[in-house]
Amino acid sequence: MPDLSKLYDAILSGDHKAASAITREAIDAKIDAMEMVTGYMVPAMDEVGRRFECEEYFVPELLLCGRAMKSALELLRPLLAAAGSQPAGRVVIGTVKGDLHDIGKNLVAAMLEGAGFEVIDLGADVEPDAFVETVKVRKPHLVCLSALLTVTMPSMKTTIQALKDAGVRDSVKVLIGGAPITPEYADSIGADAFGGSATAAVSLARKFMQAA
Amino acid sequence: MTSKQRVVAAVNHQAPDRIPIDFGSSSVTGMHVSCVAALRDFYGLERRPVKVHEPFQMLGLIEEDLKRAIGVDVDGVFRRKTILGFPLTDWKPWRTQQGLEVLVPGAFNTTVAPNGDTLIYPEGDLSAPPSGRMPRDGYFFDGIIRQEPIVDEQLNPEDNLEEFLPIAGDDLASLKADVDAAAGSGRAVMTSLTGTAFGDIALVPATFLKHPKGIRDISEWYMSISSRREYIHAVFSRQCEIALGNLARIHAAIGDAIDTAFVCGADFGTQTGTFCSLKTFRDLWLPYYRQVNDWIHAHTAWKTFKHSCGSVDRFIPSFMEAGFDILNPVQCSAANMSAQHLKADYGARIAFWGGGVDTQKVLPFGTPGEVRRQVLERCQIFSEGGGFVFNAIHNVQARTPVENIVAMIDAVHEFNGVPANA
Repeated sequence: MPDLSKLYDAILSGDHKAASAITREAIDAKIDAMEMVTGYMVPAMDEVGRRFECEEYFVPELLLCGRAMKSALELLRPLLAAAGSQPAGRVVIGTVKGDLHDIGKNLVAAMLEGAGFEVIDLGADVEPDAFVETVKVRKPHLVCLSALLTVTMPSMKTTIQALKDAGVRDSVKVLIGGAPITPEYADSIGADAFGGSATAAVSLARKFMQAA
Repeated sequence: MTSKQRVVAAVNHQAPDRIPIDFGSSSVTGMHVSCVAALRDFYGLERRPVKVHEPFQMLGLIEEDLKRAIGVDVDGVFRRKTILGFPLTDWKPWRTQQGLEVLVPGAFNTTVAPNGDTLIYPEGDLSAPPSGRMPRDGYFFDGIIRQEPIVDEQLNPEDNLEEFLPIAGDDLASLKADVDAAAGSGRAVMTSLTGTAFGDIALVPATFLKHPKGIRDISEWYMSISSRREYIHAVFSRQCEIALGNLARIHAAIGDAIDTAFVCGADFGTQTGTFCSLKTFRDLWLPYYRQVNDWIHAHTAWKTFKHSCGSVDRFIPSFMEAGFDILNPVQCSAANMSAQHLKADYGARIAFWGGGVDTQKVLPFGTPGEVRRQVLERCQIFSEGGGFVFNAIHNVQARTPVENIVAMIDAVHEFNGVPANA
């Protein structure tokens, strides 16, 4: 029986090779995939978030820990799907049209996955219609929009308007973030919330799911 | 005072006769080409296509007539080759995606991808993989990550040093000619040094190289700061050694004809904090910065210029300890970066080159009245006792209303109490 605390430690130390290795051992030992996620991976990423909030960890560590978590999750995903495991919620995320910057978006996606959410990542420079189609087909609980640039902030408004025009705006919560974004801007374009960091995004996503 | 005297006084923390102004002297203190074109129209200057002197961010060249109209006090001397590896020569027409006719360097060669994105090529070589991408309807390029699979055991710091070489003779000759020309303008002269940008994330993907090796993916580089510390040290250490040799050659060629030297544009701040810990900064960057700054201060009269976006409040004492004289862009819109705090706590020891107006909210989205109010307030706070060169917080971005840009410029002159071209 593998020692699953090593999975927790591997994620917390950002060691993706160790995280993969212990996960493979656990799969071979027929350990329940959902138990690994909820018992070790989500707590590890919660601790990563806590350390980020209190400035023990910074962007490099978030990226490393997120990669370690994803390397384990990739191995578990088929087992989770086969077992019909329910995620904490379903999220569609992307950097809006015209904006190619994706590091902030990737950090939010990794932290949400680490919190047990199913994340559908549409990438960067995403057309409003792509968000609309994905919402229609995949029926997420949340849509997360990212922008780094002042010149692409208006694409957030366009995307929310496209969700409205398609009649699906009220089926999702819309969370926005990025360097130039403020809570006031989120209000002004009809978003549900502004997330100032990857950890804040996770807190908001959990809050939305509890209220759902 | 001449423009040069005004800038020199300001960066030496002596009160100049009025606040000096910079627009266009560097890749972080300029304006998008569309804004430069709009300003030329506003001031009724000769209608001609604006030159794009920084093709990655699509910054427009602020030429002599516009410098006079704005009242600019600084001339920029740019490197012979751009961030895309081609020289600023053989200008040719190009039309932006918004339909603006501009001039671009002859090797600014682009193709259009099936999705409508514009692709641009290192050294203009269309046979090489593209290194920059402008989204359809976009305003500037972003680097395309060209990362070979990384095998840790095979990583060699030399692979991340390909671009750091002894300065080429033609680059040195070009620099000297441009510095000599600028030195006669009566303005202060700023130039960007060669190879002193330690880990500037804009340069890590090496958009100027046709087939970059080593660690070139931005996320991978950030992770390496934590997970491959010795590798990064090895790169910075050798880079520093090469840079110090280049500094000696550059100084031998141009002497003290420049006033400020742009040393490094590596960003350490996010909107709310820093990219890495202070401990990491002090271990990984400070020793190399100190070597460069110490050499410059021991051998030249140049003042050294450090650019870092974001909330870097806690790093500023270390920037000063490393020997930097000037901080830019002074992002007052980030956490813990209020103008009052920065001036009160650091203003006696480091000069602020920027911070004049917020380019994330007020300048692009505010009213001219809001722009004027913020500029007057910032001038009041930052100018006391010198130590301030007016510039917006980073480049003026595309889609900024020209009325707001003019309101910004007018407000500085209103504060100074003299017209632009006095």
